[in-house]
Amino acid sequence: MDFEVTYTPEQEAFRTEVRAWLAMNIPEGLEQPVDPGDLTLEQYQKLRELGRRLGSRGWLYPTYPKEYGGGDLNVDFVMILEEELDRYGLHLPPYYDSGGRLGGASIFVWGTEEQKKQFLTPIFRGEWRTWQLLSEPNAGSDLAGVQTRAVRDGDSYIVNGQKIYIGSLHGCEMMWTIVVTDPDKPRHENLGWLMIPYGLPGIEVRPMELLTAGGEGGASPGLKHTVFFDNVRVPAFNLVGGENNGWRVATTHLELEHGGGGMIRRNRVVDQFLEYCITTKRDGESLSKDPDVREDMVEAYIKSEIVRLMGLRTYWLSHAHKPRSYEGPQLSYCRKTYALEIAETILRAVGPYAMTNDPDWGPLHGLLEHYQRSAVVGLHPGGTTDIQKVIMARRIGIGRTTREQAGRLR
Amino acid sequence: MDLGLTEAQEILKTTAASFLQQEYPKETIIALESTPTGVTPELFRKVAELGWLGILIPEEYGGEGRSYTDAAVLFEELGRGPVAGPYFSSGILGALTVLHSGTEAQKRTILPQVASGERVISVAVTEPHYGWRPETVQLRASRQGDTYTLNGVKLFVHDAQAATHLLCAVRTSPPNNGASSGITLLLVDAKAPGVTIRTLPGWMAQVDEVRLHNVRVPAADVLGETEGQGWEALEAAAMQAIPILCAYQVGSCQTVFDISVAYSRTRVQFGQPIGRFQRVQDHIVNIVNNLDAARWTTYEALWKLDAGRPAAASVHLAKAVTSEAYLKVCDSGHEVHAGVGVIREYGLTLHTQRSRTLYHLLGDARYHRRRLADAMGW
Repeated sequence: MDFEVTYTPEQEAFRTEVRAWLAMNIPEGLEQPVDPGDLTLEQYQKLRELGRRLGSRGWLYPTYPKEYGGGDLNVDFVMILEEELDRYGLHLPPYYDSGGRLGGASIFVWGTEEQKKQFLTPIFRGEWRTWQLLSEPNAGSDLAGVQTRAVRDGDSYIVNGQKIYIGSLHGCEMMWTIVVTDPDKPRHENLGWLMIPYGLPGIEVRPMELLTAGGEGGASPGLKHTVFFDNVRVPAFNLVGGENNGWRVATTHLELEHGGGGMIRRNRVVDQFLEYCITTKRDGESLSKDPDVREDMVEAYIKSEIVRLMGLRTYWLSHAHKPRSYEGPQLSYCRKTYALEIAETILRAVGPYAMTNDPDWGPLHGLLEHYQRSAVVGLHPGGTTDIQKVIMARRIGIGRTTREQAGRLR
Repeated sequence: MDLGLTEAQEILKTTAASFLQQEYPKETIIALESTPTGVTPELFRKVAELGWLGILIPEEYGGEGRSYTDAAVLFEELGRGPVAGPYFSSGILGALTVLHSGTEAQKRTILPQVASGERVISVAVTEPHYGWRPETVQLRASRQGDTYTLNGVKLFVHDAQAATHLLCAVRTSPPNNGASSGITLLLVDAKAPGVTIRTLPGWMAQVDEVRLHNVRVPAADVLGETEGQGWEALEAAAMQAIPILCAYQVGSCQTVFDISVAYSRTRVQFGQPIGRFQRVQDHIVNIVNNLDAARWTTYEALWKLDAGRPAAASVHLAKAVTSEAYLKVCDSGHEVHAGVGVIREYGLTLHTQRSRTLYHLLGDARYHRRRLADAMGW
């Protein structure tokens, strides 16, 4: 086994190239706020600019083919890109873009050649940022029970309905969603998967006030919305995967959302919490010398290491095209539940300081305070922890001999 | 990055699995579970013939000289049984301790015999004042001329009944520069006059009390050139042996997972397989989460050892996670199986017993969590 990429001279040369390129191309003033809800429009535009620059080289979504704006890079090269971006506290994509991360994967698997060209190229080049529109007020864990309707009318679909917990700060260019295309068909065979341009007439986007806006495992969105559709006319060309095939199209991005792509990131909050305990003195002694705090540090560290290793394992399975089963939802389950437990451990170790982002008293510029909130909010995006367990059970084949297959990623 | 096994490791895994299938059916494992040695001479000879007792011993000393990960792949298979017997005590911990402490001549004599199974080592460190820190080693050895005399008790010694030799950590001088100085490793003939080995009764298995009454050990049987340097060698050996012990535990967890999934499909209550009930599913999800946490922390530590990287923090992490996970996996296995799980012939209790018996070996979770904090420099 090898838990690290062993770099060939070719890869080391790539690192040199990436490092030099990033030094030239990362815009000035990219420092991001502790709370993603504080991301200014100016900062966002700089991130988008970086996205376009990365995209122009095929580095924004580097594993996809060049003909659609990807980079044709294999996992060992992508890891170099991720590592080098990580030095700036950034990752791929550098802003919330569920279109590339999730929707793009679905279009790649299920789209026609013409759709791939028209939709994937602007996404992978960073020209479009897209949102996913999945949950509805009455369809959360039971996602296949969505009620938003799309009725065919000539070369268009007329869309009516409501989606919730949507998007991010500062808008997007394109949205993708699942809608009911045939209400008379059975469950899972009645849905369509539709790309909808952001600015069409009849779309209303209203911000929601949440404890904080949690991510689905990618970059934090900063803000969520309710989106209303009132007789919105969408070109029929935008239906991906064919009539009433939307659920199968969705299995691809749901697989990713359930952790199937893995991750190669550390928990930065834990790293900074540990550093904080070492460097913060109370009564002349480092917090880390207090036996109780020391035990809390161990607890947080062990959990973050387990999640890191599960993420690495799943990343490897997915990128080396090995058979996958329950690993994605397991990663999602452990990442979420451990994050909440870690937040509580931090609360114990640091005390009420962990609950304030006051400039004078809040540790780490409010990072720990924000984590107290984001760990709670983060339990549910991309499927509740209970749903992750349900999927694990089906994939393992608990109580059944036919095991459900993991969603197609390629 | 490659988290798969190498071809050689796959072969080793398959060989081990088919050997165990043939030689270690469940009935045999159950029959041997609570015997003093946990093994028959015939089985032990067969394992020795496969070279498994020398898997980590360098070729120049008559072993196979394979990697830590290779050894772990083998021990994961043994753990799947779970197979009892002094394989880990002698072939891994004993061999590594001799490798770290012995003189060149001692290594040339002892290690080939360990590899062939002719000599079986049990490592005796702990005492009634139980613990794995050097200060817990209090048994005094007094030297007169060329002979040491040992008096005292070694307690919770694994596989002493199966051993030809006891590798005893003893105190030859009081702690001078820190508690680890003054500890000497002596190789004591298990049949020497004054040695009494008694299997401890109860739920533990192959764990013994070793009483030493005026036991005379020639100075030539001190491992190493000088006395008082034993702890460092023991510690170095333990840090390499621990992840292999963890792999054994991982193997056992894997079996508990497999039989629990199988049972969830075949056991019918309320007209359906019990695995259809989400409460039951939760137990199995809990098993696989603990299993994978143990597996990947263990194999990362092994990779670091094999790659010659600083591995201390990872080794402590692996043992802290794995010992705890093993308990939880077995607990959840019992939740799934209910009454059937405690029928001895079913086999689940073999794993549960091991999870408890091995929990403290080479330091429990709490001990390794403290060591982890130290290793991280906090």
